[in-house]
Amino acid sequence: MRVFSNPAPAAGPPPQGWRPYAVSLAYTALALAAGLVVSRYFDIAQVGLVFILPVMASAVRFGRWPSLATCVAAAAVYNFFFLPPLYTFFIAKADDTMAFAIFVAVALITSNLAARMRAEAMVAHERAVATDRLYQFSAKLAAVYTLDDLLWATAFQIAQMLKVQVVILLPQDGQLGIRAGYPPDDRMSAADTAAAAWVWQHAESAVHGCAHASDAKRLYLPMRTGRGLVGVIGLESDGVPLRQSEARRLFDALADQAALAIERIVLAEAIEKTRLAAEAEKLRGALLTSISHDLRTPLAVILGAASSLKDLGGALDPAAHHELASTIQDEAERLNRFIANLLDMTRLESGALAPRLEPTDLGDVAGSAAARASRILAGHTLHVAVEPDLPLVRLDPVLFEQALFNLLDNAGKYAPAGTAVTLSARRYGAVVRLDIADEGPGIAPADLERIFDKFYRAQAADAKRASTGLGLAIARGFVEAMGGRLTAANRNEPGRSGAVFTISLPIEAP
Amino acid sequence: MTALRILVVDDEPAIRRFLNTSLGSQGYSIGEAEDGAAALAALSREPAPDLIVLDLGLPGMDGFEVIRRVRASGASVPIIVLSVRTDEAGKVKALDLGADDYVTKPFGIDELLARIRTALRHRLQQEGERPIFKVDALSVDLVRRLVTVGDADVKLTPREYDLLRVLVAHAGKVLTHKYLLQEVWGEETDVQYLRIYVRTLRQKIEADPEQPKLIQTEQGVGYRLKAPD
Repeated sequence: MRVFSNPAPAAGPPPQGWRPYAVSLAYTALALAAGLVVSRYFDIAQVGLVFILPVMASAVRFGRWPSLATCVAAAAVYNFFFLPPLYTFFIAKADDTMAFAIFVAVALITSNLAARMRAEAMVAHERAVATDRLYQFSAKLAAVYTLDDLLWATAFQIAQMLKVQVVILLPQDGQLGIRAGYPPDDRMSAADTAAAAWVWQHAESAVHGCAHASDAKRLYLPMRTGRGLVGVIGLESDGVPLRQSEARRLFDALADQAALAIERIVLAEAIEKTRLAAEAEKLRGALLTSISHDLRTPLAVILGAASSLKDLGGALDPAAHHELASTIQDEAERLNRFIANLLDMTRLESGALAPRLEPTDLGDVAGSAAARASRILAGHTLHVAVEPDLPLVRLDPVLFEQALFNLLDNAGKYAPAGTAVTLSARRYGAVVRLDIADEGPGIAPADLERIFDKFYRAQAADAKRASTGLGLAIARGFVEAMGGRLTAANRNEPGRSGAVFTISLPIEAP
Repeated sequence: MTALRILVVDDEPAIRRFLNTSLGSQGYSIGEAEDGAAALAALSREPAPDLIVLDLGLPGMDGFEVIRRVRASGASVPIIVLSVRTDEAGKVKALDLGADDYVTKPFGIDELLARIRTALRHRLQQEGERPIFKVDALSVDLVRRLVTVGDADVKLTPREYDLLRVLVAHAGKVLTHKYLLQEVWGEETDVQYLRIYVRTLRQKIEADPEQPKLIQTEQGVGYRLKAPD
């Protein structure tokens, strides 16, 4: 197999078959008829010009060889019918001989010029088509965002435009391997692997005849950008030789564009990787801060209170004894909540959360969440107002109770003691809305979305709220996993400040 | 005699709650402040506290700033800092600013009570040092400059004696490297000198120099001489 070899003549492909010659003959016959008419009114010498016409027409339409044939036919007919002695192929007069010679010369030159023009027009047309396709290709590449799509598009395009089979090889983990092919192909013989590797190492084409490429079934070419090599393309054709200059130019243009696009995507992936790493680093820092504070504070209290019970036992009156014991209980529960939050977050993040949806009575869940939060909200007044005839909603009651609990917990942390916390549920058309409203300081507008971020704590005046920075993120994660929405807002009622968290749940058609 | 007053400054209600109960059971009268501003306000009120237990990680004005302002006002009230384990630099900074001692969270109540007793004792005894200091087998006669372990006399170089004297003067209290270097060498020299002298001193006075009971190392901060019971 040879691809870029055997440069064909610069003119267009040789005309196929007999048709161009027949048509050219018809042109000549027409010219004869015209010549016969013209010769009645004009001098014989002028008739020669008429026979230039079929030669030109043939050259423009069919190229060099038909036009040369027309040239011969026209000369013969001209001589036979118009140059004395008539109806012979002889020429009697020296003048006529001269006229005939000039006719033949003009016809030949004309045919040549016209044929060349035609060839150039054809090349120009091909180039225009190729340019158009290249433009479309580059537009297509610009719209591709994954490496696999890009490689597939490139392989497809090169295969289509050059009528070859294409594989694209990229380095992966230090190994050059096929990443895409059109038609799909992932077979690499040892010789192919060696040839591709040679191209990758030397950044040069492995031309047939080279020792390392002699047995390879494909021709391997480097894909490079200004920054260096990005990959290797392997081409295999079915034996139709491609014209060197045009095909090579086209291939280079395609390969260059593909290389740039590959580089763009690889760089973008690297940037994304770096960004993710930085993000993970930030999260790890926030996690460490959160754990060191949220884990350490309750532990410090438990340890201190427990050691007090143990070491000061005799000095403690019953009230102090009880106080220390309940401090230990409260802080152990706080630790438990924190660890549960961490586990919930892990479940959410790992995608291991599978809500078990079942028709659920919201009043029931709201009641149990309120009961669980009663210790935390001991200093607050908690109102629960659930519309009596609410329809059942498909929920995971366990997850939903946890989401409600986290919202109540949050209200307990941010709203001062002595204020009211309200949990209300009402139906609005096809949606049930639950509002958890407090009478705290409210939420800064810039924080309304950020408070749902992991480890984000509203910084308002107090950098160290006893919170994990996870509760709201988990509440939102749970609600969304059940098909609902959780948003935060500030209360918009005259004389009332505070935050309100709203859960919207769609009611399924019965 | 009225109860000694301790001001607990911590933004965590749970910490204040248990300290209030535990310290209260020991006969101290407890005041609480949840931030630096409240702490400074409590200091300016009569009766002023006799000791402050101060969390370093306060919101807004942090513990360091509170120490700075208390000392700038001329108050010598002992300050015991509550710190986290990993923050050696913070401990040193707090001590340099004028805190008397620190306890690392989480802590047992007897550790905090021991620190409080030491700090209060120094406050009560600041005027007259005891002429003879005794802890375990160690005895230091500060008037005659005699050091004995059990019945045996211990020969110390003048520098070793100076080091021991400074430690004895503040027995039970942590002393930073910087403070010891200044007191003993009169200048800030390499902390390496201090380490060498502490080692030779331990070899002369400790029963087991590898597991010192008298001169305790506060890693990254300084040294503490065991207080007499």
